[in-house]
Amino acid sequence: MTEKTVIQVEGLVKHYGEVTALDGVSFSVKEGEIFGLLGPNGAGKTTLMEILCCLRRFDEGNATVLAFDLIKDSRKVRGSIGFCPQETLLYDLLSVRENFAFAASLYSLDSKKFKERVEFSSKFLGVGEFLNRKVKELSGGMKRRANLAVSIVHDPPVVILDEPTVGFDPNVKREFWELIQDLKNYEKTVLISTHDMFEADELCDRVAIMDKGKIVALDKPDILKETLGGETSIRIKTKEAPKKAVSLLKEYKCIMRDDEIQVFVKNPWRIVPEVSNKLISHGVLTEKIEVVEPTLEDVFIKLTGRRLTEE
Amino acid sequence: MIILLLFTAIFGREVPFTANIGIVDSDNTPLTSNIISAFNDTTIFNVEIFKNKTQALEALNATDVRAVITIPKNFSLNLTTGKNTYALLAIDKTDPQVTQTVEGTIKTLFSEFYKEIGNYTEPISVIEETSLMREEIGYKEHIVPGMLCYPFLFSSMVAATGAIVYEKHKGTLKKIRASPVRPLNVLFGKTLAALFQTAISILIIAVLAVLVLTPKVNWNVPLMIPIMFLGSMNGIAVGLLISCIGRSPQAASSAATTIGVVLQFFIGMYFPQEFLPTYIQQIGNIIPMTYAVQAIRSIMLQNAALTDILQPIATLVVSALILYAVGILLYKRWVEKE
Ligand SMILES: Nc1ncnc2c1ncn2[C@@H]1O[C@H](COP(=O)(O)OP(=O)(O)OP(=O)(O)O)[C@@H](O)[C@H]1O
Ligand SMILES: [Mg+2]
Repeated sequence: MTEKTVIQVEGLVKHYGEVTALDGVSFSVKEGEIFGLLGPNGAGKTTLMEILCCLRRFDEGNATVLAFDLIKDSRKVRGSIGFCPQETLLYDLLSVRENFAFAASLYSLDSKKFKERVEFSSKFLGVGEFLNRKVKELSGGMKRRANLAVSIVHDPPVVILDEPTVGFDPNVKREFWELIQDLKNYEKTVLISTHDMFEADELCDRVAIMDKGKIVALDKPDILKETLGGETSIRIKTKEAPKKAVSLLKEYKCIMRDDEIQVFVKNPWRIVPEVSNKLISHGVLTEKIEVVEPTLEDVFIKLTGRRLTEE
Repeated sequence: MIILLLFTAIFGREVPFTANIGIVDSDNTPLTSNIISAFNDTTIFNVEIFKNKTQALEALNATDVRAVITIPKNFSLNLTTGKNTYALLAIDKTDPQVTQTVEGTIKTLFSEFYKEIGNYTEPISVIEETSLMREEIGYKEHIVPGMLCYPFLFSSMVAATGAIVYEKHKGTLKKIRASPVRPLNVLFGKTLAALFQTAISILIIAVLAVLVLTPKVNWNVPLMIPIMFLGSMNGIAVGLLISCIGRSPQAASSAATTIGVVLQFFIGMYFPQEFLPTYIQQIGNIIPMTYAVQAIRSIMLQNAALTDILQPIATLVVSALILYAVGILLYKRWVEKE
């Protein structure tokens, strides 16, 4: 991996009337990196991405993509990004190939390059099998793949994906991650947003955790998890009286999460028997006690006191 | 409901019948001027005096003068000396009902007049010298130019609104806007698409009109195309405005359709403007498409040439430019606002 900076963002601020969607965001993405934006709904991920794609204005700060200024060189910026938004990019009544052709015409691809790109997408994203079918006849997963293929039809060096795997089942998600990781082999720089902690963990080289328009932490996933101080969590589900259980476990660092109690400890295997004895001796029956490796969500909880997804 | 109200407004009132007639007075005596003022005093006739017969007959041919009465030399002398007296009548027989009324009234007036100066032996006879039959301009002929203008509202305006608003809603506009294509080119593209759609609609309507209605109209296609273009551009510009102002795709689309449905009554599409109540005419006068309908109707029904319709053309050009410019501004503001 080279050290060339592809996306550089400094102190971006964006207001929507009263709402501050971005509150001084700074980071940089290196060439060939898969950079994740992890944050709950409303964190400002989409806003940030759309600003980088020149779809929105911003109020303060500045940003460059491949050293092009977002405002002064807006056309060059747009030409070097492939953006796959949360919405679909496809026209329902056209075939996938026709959608390709239209997208290609937006970037003035010549027919040779176009053919090359269609072949690439067929091989790479497996859209070949439904190239001539109308978009409205495709399944959700096919549409997503076609969507991604269309968004990178012009072979852009920078790929920006806004929550591309929302609604995928776990297997399909995994396949999709592989595809995106494959993009690295083509020297693409990828900026991807998600509120799936596993996705951020598995897929991304570095992750910026966003909350309320701010980056609250930014590093490699493993390092982020280490900031928890090597703490693992024990999850306890009681049959009844969870409140009583929490008060019994006061001496440990513990929180209620849904109907589960989460206890943060350094040496779980010693603590687990201790905890279960204590609960049983006070008449609290447990349904399940398990030790969980820390996740990026734990990092988020530690930093903000809230969960990533409110279920 | 609106339709019902408008139809009542248009057909529900009594239109007093008036006809323009011409009189050529070759005798020129106090008696003949008495006759002329007698004609003038009726509520039916507007009398126009012609110096010579050629001019009068020309007017009968080319304008809405329905009949020409010629009073020959020595008319008064003959009448006062009890000789055979006559007046000549040239009449436009296109509309049988009008002809009957006009002819009947003229004959009655002469005989009444004769009775008034009663003591003469021979009554005044009205001799019909010529008559002409115009090509009839019926409802069919009126409706066809109006129909051809229908797409200005329902293809141009609605298509332009729909095209932009649909993409805005779906996210495909994001793809276009995220590409290096300039916003203005996007607008021109949408405009072209809407123009194309309008052209197709007009073509279909024209073919159907010819096949089904077989109207006797003048198809001056080379002159009609530029007017059609201007009419469409006005519709497209309005559509553009609606889609920039509209808060949601549903709101914008239904606004466009509603505006189209309402406007169709004001622009004189179904009836020539003169048939409409004054307040509708006045509203129509501030709607650009009205001038397109007028121009198309003049071309098709009155064989108007370019020079005859310069004024509506100028109005259309100016309004298209203004509306489109405002549309571009709003679109740019909308694109940049976010
Ligand atoms: N067009 C807009 N007008 C006004 N406020 C907006 C607009 N778009 C977003 N916001 C607000 O800005 C904040 C950030 O929204 P944004 O869409 O960037 O979040 P996000 O991180 O992408 O969320 P999600 O995970 O739900 O996609 C939210 O509070 C949102 O309500
Ligand atoms: Mg979002």
